[in-house]
Amino acid sequence: MFANAFLKTLRDQRRALVGWGAAIAVLVLLMAALWPSVRDMFEQDLLAAYPEAIQRLFDVEAMATGAGFLNAELFSIILPGLFIAYGIGRGARLTAGEEQDGILEVVIVGPLSRTRLLLHKAAALATGIIALGAVLFIATVVASAVMDMGIPVAHATIGTVAMVLIGIQHGWLALGVGAATGRRALALAVSGTLAVAAYALHVVGALVAAVEPWQPLSPFTQAIGPGPVGGTVPVGFVWLALTAVAFVAAAVPLFRRRDIATA
Amino acid sequence: MDPVIRTSGLSKHYGHIVGLESLDLQVPPGIVFGCLGPNGAGKTTAIRLLVGLLRPTHGRAEVLGIDLAADPDEVQRRVGYLPGDFKAYPDLTGGQYLRYLGNLRGGVDWQAVELLAKRLDLDLTRRIGALSHGNRQKVGIIQAFMNEPELLILDEPTAGLDPLMQREFLALVREARDAGRTLLLSSHILTEVEAVADMVGILREGHLATVDSVENLKARALRRIDLIFAHEVPEAMLAGVPGVQEVHADGTIAQLTVEGSTADLIAALAPYRVDDVVSHEADLEEIFLAYYAEEG
Repeated sequence: MFANAFLKTLRDQRRALVGWGAAIAVLVLLMAALWPSVRDMFEQDLLAAYPEAIQRLFDVEAMATGAGFLNAELFSIILPGLFIAYGIGRGARLTAGEEQDGILEVVIVGPLSRTRLLLHKAAALATGIIALGAVLFIATVVASAVMDMGIPVAHATIGTVAMVLIGIQHGWLALGVGAATGRRALALAVSGTLAVAAYALHVVGALVAAVEPWQPLSPFTQAIGPGPVGGTVPVGFVWLALTAVAFVAAAVPLFRRRDIATA
Repeated sequence: MDPVIRTSGLSKHYGHIVGLESLDLQVPPGIVFGCLGPNGAGKTTAIRLLVGLLRPTHGRAEVLGIDLAADPDEVQRRVGYLPGDFKAYPDLTGGQYLRYLGNLRGGVDWQAVELLAKRLDLDLTRRIGALSHGNRQKVGIIQAFMNEPELLILDEPTAGLDPLMQREFLALVREARDAGRTLLLSSHILTEVEAVADMVGILREGHLATVDSVENLKARALRRIDLIFAHEVPEAMLAGVPGVQEVHADGTIAQLTVEGSTADLIAALAPYRVDDVVSHEADLEEIFLAYYAEEG
C-alpha cells in the first residue's frame, strides 16, 4: 500500500470509498424499491397533471420505463452530484490540501518529480471514482433484476460511465487548480462553480429555446443528455474525457514552476 | 574540489518584502556548514531555494554541480531535506511513513532505518498524529538521513529534541560528515552550530553578514556570565581581566559580558570564593554587534 504515490493515495481513499459506495448502493436500491408504485401511478395516469416544462426537464414521459425512472430520480441530479462532490472534495485535497498541511514538501524533495506526483494522484482519484462507478453499476443491475425494471446491462454501463466521467472531470479540475495554485479553497471554489454553471446551463437550455444551442457545452448535458441510462453512447463522453485530461495537463507546467508553500 | 553548493546573487522577494538578498555562497564538499541567524533572517528562505521548493526572484544556484533552475528534479532526487516545520501524514505510523518515503526513493536499507529509530529512541509503531513534537522531529530526521544522500539540508533540525537526543543527532551529523557527505544545517542557537559546524554563515535581515570558521566566530562571541560571590564583588579586579567588557556589580552578584574565551576570567577568579556561576547563551545579535564594531 506504500509502494508508490498511486497506491498510497488510493489507500487514503479506502474509508471514504466504503462509505460513499455503501451510500450509492443503498440509494439505488431504495429508489428501485419505489419503482413498482411509480409504475402503478403511470397506469392510473396521475403524472399528466405536472406543468409541461417540468415534464420536459425531468422527462416525465420517460418515467414510464424502469430506465427512465432511474434517469429522472437518480442519474439526472443526485448521482452526478455525488460523483462530482466526491471528485471535487478529494481532488482539492490531494495536492493543495497536503501542501497547506505542510506534508507535501518532503515528498517533493525526493526522487518523485512534481509531474509524476500529480499524475499518480490523478490516476488514484480516477481509480477511486471508477470503483464508485463499479458499485453503482452492480447496484443498478441488481436493482433492475430484483424489481423487474428491465434495464439492459449495456444501458446500465452507459449510465455508469456518464457518472464516472463527470466525476473524474470535476475531480481533475479541482486537482489541477489545487496543484497549479496550492490553494485548496480555490480548487473547491473553481470546480464547484463549474459544476453549478454546468447544471444551470443544462437546465436553462432545456427550458429556454434561446439558450438551447449552448446546452451541449454543459458537461451535464454531455454526460446525461441522452439518458444517461440508455442505448446510445453520447458524443459528449469524448468531451468529458478530453477536458478532464486537459485540466491535468494544463496544471503540470504551472505546478512545476511555482513556489511550494509552507504550512 | 568543486563546491557542493554554489550560489550567485540568489535573491527571493515576496512583493516588497525581501526574504533573501544576493546570496553568494560556496559550500565545499565534506563539511558541516552551519547557517546561523536570528528568526526571520532568511535561513528558511535560503534553504527552500536550495532544495528547489522556491524559485529565486534573481540569481542562480548550483547544487551538486547541477543548475537548480534547469533540473530541480535531479537535485531533489539527490538531497536529503528536513523542513523547519516538519509535518507528515498524521494517520500513518512512523514506520509506514518511512516505508512510503523509502519506496519513493528506492535503495533504502530498512535495517538502517530501524537502527536510526533505535538510536533516536523512536517507536515506529505509533501514529505520527499521536507523537510529541520532539518524536515527530525524529521521524523527520530519519527520513532525511535514511537513504544516505550526498547532501543533507536540515532546517532547525534539533528543534523540539531533548538534550540527550540533540547529542545523538549531532553524532549522526558527524558520522555523515566523516563518511564524506556534506551537511548544511540552520539554527538560531550558536552553541548548537558551534558543536558540529566546520564553517558558519551568518544571515541577518536577508543578507549574508559573514562566512567564517567556528573558531573565529567563537573568538568574537560575547557571553553573559553571572557570578555570585560569597563576599563583596571585586569589581575593579574583574574589569581588569582580558576579555571582560562590562561589569555590573550589585552586592555579591556580578553580571559580566565576556568576549571570546573565558579562560583568563576563570584563572582570575581562583583566589575568590564564588558560590555560583550562571552562563547565558551567547546572543546572536551581540555577536553581530561585536563583529561590526571590530570591522569598524
